[in-house]
Amino acid sequence: MVRIENVALHFDDGKTTALNGISATVEEGEFVAIVGPSGCGKSSLLNVIGTLERPTTGEVYFRCQPYSNIADASLFRRQHFGFIFQSFHLIPTLSALDNVVVATIGCPGPAREHTQRARQLLAQLGLRDRIDHFPRTMSGGERQRVAIARALINNPDLILADEPTGSLDSVSTEQVLGVISEIRQQRGISIVVVTHDPEVSGRADRVVSMRDGKIEPGKEYRQ
Amino acid sequence: MNLFGFALGNLYRRPARSSLTIAAISLGVASIVALTSIAWGFEASWQRANDARGTDLIVTRLASENAMPSPFLADKLQATLKGYPHVQEVVGLLSEMLSVGDNAPPVFVFGWEYRSYLWQHLRLIDGHLPANDTDADIVLGSLAAELLHKKVGDSVEIEGRQFLIRGIFDSPAVVENGAVVMTLTLAQQITDKPGKVNILNIKLDDHASDSVIDDFKTRVRETLPGYLAITSGELVRKNAVVRISKAMSNATTLIASLVGALVVFNTMLMSINERTREIGLLLALGWQRQTIVKLIVSESVVLSLAGGLAGILIGIAIAGGLEHVELMRGKIEAVFSMPFLIAILGLSVVLGVAGGLYPALKAARMLPSQALRQE
Repeated sequence: MVRIENVALHFDDGKTTALNGISATVEEGEFVAIVGPSGCGKSSLLNVIGTLERPTTGEVYFRCQPYSNIADASLFRRQHFGFIFQSFHLIPTLSALDNVVVATIGCPGPAREHTQRARQLLAQLGLRDRIDHFPRTMSGGERQRVAIARALINNPDLILADEPTGSLDSVSTEQVLGVISEIRQQRGISIVVVTHDPEVSGRADRVVSMRDGKIEPGKEYRQ
Repeated sequence: MNLFGFALGNLYRRPARSSLTIAAISLGVASIVALTSIAWGFEASWQRANDARGTDLIVTRLASENAMPSPFLADKLQATLKGYPHVQEVVGLLSEMLSVGDNAPPVFVFGWEYRSYLWQHLRLIDGHLPANDTDADIVLGSLAAELLHKKVGDSVEIEGRQFLIRGIFDSPAVVENGAVVMTLTLAQQITDKPGKVNILNIKLDDHASDSVIDDFKTRVRETLPGYLAITSGELVRKNAVVRISKAMSNATTLIASLVGALVVFNTMLMSINERTREIGLLLALGWQRQTIVKLIVSESVVLSLAGGLAGILIGIAIAGGLEHVELMRGKIEAVFSMPFLIAILGLSVVLGVAGGLYPALKAARMLPSQALRQE
């Protein structure tokens, strides 16, 4: 599904190297966990896969389409990717429902249908009674489930999650992991997760270990 | 929730800033509405007064730019003009702004030739018109009567002379409603301008066509040096007060528009700086850059439209209030037209777009990954 070929990512006119010649793949329906110490380039790799960053050199392919040929990265993201962030990134003044619907603004189709789908998703994620609640009145686990619903609303092919349980307690972590497993089983969506949490990486099909902007050779293993 | 609903919500969640921006825009728009409506009203009122009198042409001093042209001796000129083809009447008019009575605001005092056609458009509410050319009798416009607290049978002192109020009238023109009207002879006496008039009103017969009017003007220009024949509309537009008030309203429009656009610009720029992470999130979620632009511009247009609507209401109230200020009553009137108010709303939209476009483009150019990292 995703093929990364010799990708490097530099910042500050080349003074800072986030990725240094990475090559990797993500298969259809695969759950890949990227692990490694802080600052090793895990999030940068996720951003490159999700078109949030353009690699300085190298190429990324999504279903054989090179990213360098994508005319509208925003549209491409909307069509193929769903993002989940450690700090949820919910808009505090929007209800749970509107936080999900906001991802559909500008999408084709009537707003009524988008809202209906958002309701169904939130209900599936156990938030039927929290639809009209605002983020400040919700627990961390509930907020992350809202963020998951938002990531799913546009039917992505690939979920990109950056430390999705990093701000959660153990109970909420278990809930969120359960939700992610369910989604995978029901929808067959591919998932790439950046994590420090062995609970999360333990559920992945494959774990990729990174250090200093590179994939550590011999430390990639299938489970 | 759609894009517009989201934009409204963004404004609603910053009530203080949104309200202040709307207030600033509304004050600018209110000043435009009030000044422009009064400038137009001033012009319209004088035009209406001239039209209501049934005057076809006015002969005046060539170089005079005053609201009422400088006085000149009329007798010889009047006789000459009476000999022109199609001329039915040539009637002198003298006007002055004078204090009437103690502690009363100054009012226009018009002197019209006794029994001329100028008197015919007045609708008497009470009393009668002056009975002759020489008795110290006057009629008051309804507004003037109200301002001076006078009724038929009362007397007023003008320039040290007592006048009896013979009648109270209504006129289609505010400037006449707020005025004192007496015979030309009396007006010349009290202003110490014997034989002088500000303008000569020309009434042509029913057969006078546009070409007759043009011929009349040409003949005056060629045979009466120093004088000019113009229509009442041309006289009003030539009026320095009308031109100054229009120039002031145009300058106010320009300054208020610039200030309005800057206020919107500043508000939206602050707003997007505060919302960097949110905009980064929207871009990460797949919002296209043009959708971000639409969102920010929608917010700025809503702000400026709300300011425009509030400004129109405030402007109408200010202009209406000014009409009733004692010093102004009977001298100014505000004229509002629907196309003008629609144009003001259009201007508000332009201000919104102009003020919101740069912040919107700046927001749309953000890199989502960097924006998401912003604290």
